[in-house]
Order: sequence, then C-alpha cells, then structure tokens
Amino acid sequence: MSQQLAIIVMIDTENALEAGTLRGNTYLVDNMRRLGSRGECSGDLVSAVVGGHWSNGGQAQEQILNWLVGSLGSVPLTLPRNYHSHRVHRHDSRSLQSLGRLADAGGANAEDGDPLTEVRRIHREFGARIGTARGRHRHAHCDRLMDLTGRIVPEESSRRGDPVHSHPAPVLVDLCGEAVEKKVIHPAQYGSPDQDTDGWYWSAAVDTSRPGTYSYTMVVELQQLVRGPAGRTWRPRRMSHKARLNVTSTPMRNGFTGAGIGYLPVPSP
Amino acid sequence: MDVSEQDRAPVRRPISITSIVDCVGSLATGTLHENLYLLDSNRAGGSTGQGTPALRTRVSRGDRLLWTVITLECEAFAAIEDIRIDTGVCRPERHTYPDSDVAYWTATVARDDIGLVPYEITFRIGPGEASMTTPVPPALIGGTSPD
Amino acid sequence: MQQTRVNVVAVVDVIAALSDGTLEGGNMCLTDDSRYGSTGRGTTDLCTACLPGQLLTWTVLPVDVQTPVEIRSIRFLGHDGAALPEPPGEVPGEGEELGLAVWSGVVPASLAGRPPLLYRLELQMYEGVNSVLSVQSPAVRCAAGVR
Repeated sequence: MSQQLAIIVMIDTENALEAGTLRGNTYLVDNMRRLGSRGECSGDLVSAVVGGHWSNGGQAQEQILNWLVGSLGSVPLTLPRNYHSHRVHRHDSRSLQSLGRLADAGGANAEDGDPLTEVRRIHREFGARIGTARGRHRHAHCDRLMDLTGRIVPEESSRRGDPVHSHPAPVLVDLCGEAVEKKVIHPAQYGSPDQDTDGWYWSAAVDTSRPGTYSYTMVVELQQLVRGPAGRTWRPRRMSHKARLNVTSTPMRNGFTGAGIGYLPVPSP
Repeated sequence: MDVSEQDRAPVRRPISITSIVDCVGSLATGTLHENLYLLDSNRAGGSTGQGTPALRTRVSRGDRLLWTVITLECEAFAAIEDIRIDTGVCRPERHTYPDSDVAYWTATVARDDIGLVPYEITFRIGPGEASMTTPVPPALIGGTSPD
Repeated sequence: MQQTRVNVVAVVDVIAALSDGTLEGGNMCLTDDSRYGSTGRGTTDLCTACLPGQLLTWTVLPVDVQTPVEIRSIRFLGHDGAALPEPPGEVPGEGEELGLAVWSGVVPASLAGRPPLLYRLELQMYEGVNSVLSVQSPAVRCAAGVR
C-alpha cells in the first residue's frame, strides 16, 4: 500500500490555553477510517496502520505517518504559514507610505487635517508590539497581532483588555511515548519547501512486524499572550496529548494466483 | 453605545466553525456522509456535537461567526459554495483573506431567542464541478433552547 | 545481459481521476523500464516490450502520497476484445486486501511473436460508487525469445 497516513491534530487553542490542558481541546482526524481507524475527530484516535509481510517474515511495505497541526482559534491551515508575517510587512509598508505622503505634503494637506493627528493615526494602526518572554523575537511574525480575518490589530483596541487575535499556530515539538520507546515508530522532522508547513513537518516510519496497539505522545507548544510590566509578550506553553496506533500485518499474496508467482493468465493463441 | 461603554465592554472572540472535508472519500462515494467533520471554538460556551456533522454551536446576540474549510488531504481543494440559514438569525457572507485567494464566510447573530436553528453548507470539492451539501444539518443554538 | 525483470508503473492523480470520473486526460500515466523497445510511455497506451520467461510486475503510485490507489485487477483481453474471466488470485475485496496483492507474473513462451496483447487495468481509489476506474488500452508485446 503506497498511501501515507495523514493525521490532522486540531487544537482549540483559546480553550487549551485557558484550561491549561489539551484534554478535551484536541481533535484528531486521519485518512485511514476505511481501514479501521476508530475515534475520528475525537481526542482519542486509534489510527489503523496496515502492514504486509512476505512469507519469510520480512516487512513488505513501508507505512509512513505524517502529522499536521491546526488551530481552531487561528486563521486556517489553507493560508501559508508565513501569512502572518506577510500581512505585518504589507501593513508596515502602507504605514511608511502614509508617512511618506505626510512628509511630501509638508504638513499642508487639508484633507488629512492636522499632521499630528495623522501621525497619531499611523502610530495607532501600526499595531501594538509584542515581545517574547526571553526579550527577543522567536518568531518575527509574532511581533504584531493579527485578527481572525487577516487584519493587523491596531494599538488602540489592544488597550481595552485582551485583544481578539489569531493565535500563532501551535507547533508540534516532539513525538515520544510507548510507540517511540518500543521502536515501533521512528519519528523525525523533515524539511519541506512547502510554504504551508513553514519548512518542517513530522513524519515517522512504522515497524509493522510487531502487531498491537501502542500509544504515543505529541508535545505541542502554544503561545499565550500575557501582560507584564514591559508590555505584552508571548509566553510559550508546552502541553502534551496521547493518541494510539493499531498496527497489523497480513501476508502478501500474488494478485494473479492468490499464492506465489505463476505465469501471466494470457489467452491461448 | 457611547465611547466609554465601548472601552469597557470586552470584545468577544468570533466563534470559528471549521469544516474538515475528506476530499477523496467524498469524491469516491459521492457524499459527505462519514467524510465531513465539524468543529467550533465554543465548546466551553456550550456547543455540542464536536467532530460530527451535526455540530450544535451555542451563540448569543452579537456573536460573530466565522466558517472555514480544511481538507484531510493537505494538497486537495475544497471550499464553501453556500450557507443557507434563516436570514432572520444571521446572513452569512463570503469574504477573502486579504492578500490571498482563501475564502471565509462570516455572519453576526441577530437575536438571542433563536432556539435551535438548523442550516446547510454546500461545498465545492476537488478540481472539478463536484458540489455536495452537509448530509445532516448542523445548527446554531441560543437563548432558551432545550438543547 | 538479458533483463530478467520488467516493471510497469502507473502514476495516478487520484483526486483528478475521481473528480473527472476517468483515468484518461492525463490523470494516469503508465511507463516501464523495459530495454526492448516499449512504446507509448507516459500515456495510457503503453505497450510494454518483453521476452518469454521475464517477470513482469505492475505497481501503482499516487501523485499525492496521502491519497489511496490500488490495483483491483489486471485482465488480459481475449481475441473478441473481452476481458478473460477472473483468475484465481483476484479477490473482489477492497482496501486492505487489495493493498496486499503483488501483481507479478512470468511471461509465458506461448506469447512469443504474437501481436500486442491488450489488458484491462482496473484501479480502486478509496471505496464507493465512483471508486473503480479502468483503462483497456495498455498492452504487452512479447518478442521471440533468444534460446
């Protein structure tokens, strides 16, 4: 079977941050329902991994798992991962253009009124800066808030309590647990030129020679907006969630004979 | 609402309603039955049916709703073609995220006492003309609904 | 040195095939690694050149690795153009059973020197009413063997 397994991990980021746990706030979906996965779109998914073996016991096929994390409280996965930073750059570019126009007009533009008002407007719409807990930007795109429709949140509304924003996408930072310890799965991060995964995604090959049900743990890092003496910062919070794999292995057979190799079933001349 | 009231009132988060579409499954079987999962971000506020096509989203007057779609196969295409709901409750409109060709639908809930309001979503799936509708209606629930 | 094995590979755009309802139109391309002069490589009109005694193996690959496609059957067409009856190995199953089949067979000597023999390649993508698609245009041509 050449199909790779895809597991989508949808996290209710807002509620997970509030409750401090992924339990009850995580929904897993895979593309193996027709082969026996159970618990689709729940927190307790058991993914069916269907392996095949040769008559000498050797593993006949390579089963590959791929994980993709999504967030209910963020702009959708269909937008590229650099969408947030792209929007910030476009926004800044427009602010600079406004400043440029102001400078060119020499402060005498009747349409904009008092130039100081215009400067204040530009400053407000620049958006409140956000720092990270360590005082430097871990993700450059997270230094301004973006709302759920792709607009940069202006400074003014950020003073009225926690501003409504699209949460930075949660990131899968580790795969561990029983299935990894027992070497049933061999996970690693792989580089990808695909914009949608920001360059990295988790994938694992499966050893299907030991059938059984195994659990594994996903460690996810979310970003929480917190207010400190120096202003707003992103504080990373790591949470984990368990899911399971049900590994099976069945003997391979020849498609023409049902057993071993034979002659092609051609018509007689 | 005067300016000071506006300043005090906390801005409510929009309620995100996400549809996960299995493109291969729906194109092969010709139906969204068992190929569609709905989730919303208001489980804490009372939404039920998370992960099923019969999602019940708990709403109040003034809540902004945001519908988006993702596909199970990350390189496949699916989009919302239409959302049909009692216009007295809300009027969903299609918008595009700026600087992209990805669409979302949004609406604001007009009343509190809506009870249980079923609605339908029609999706366009895959590169062709395939169009499919929610196999069972999801719903909005609000006010004094027994749900 | 004589090539003992010839591999035929079908590469399928599963979502496009399911969406269009056909493997034609670029949704599937067939190719092989025969050194004996195959024609039609990259199309559904592949004619694989082989010699008696060689092991011919068919495999199918999806362009999008997260989409399912399996060989459901390979049946050579008789003189009347109809597919031969079901051979003993063919299991009318789906999914798991199909993924465990290896489509390999030895080219019999009786094929040597005959005109190209057409076969029907039937693929299963997921399950359901639209999931089975086939082509009857590829062929196998066996040259007279070297003693």
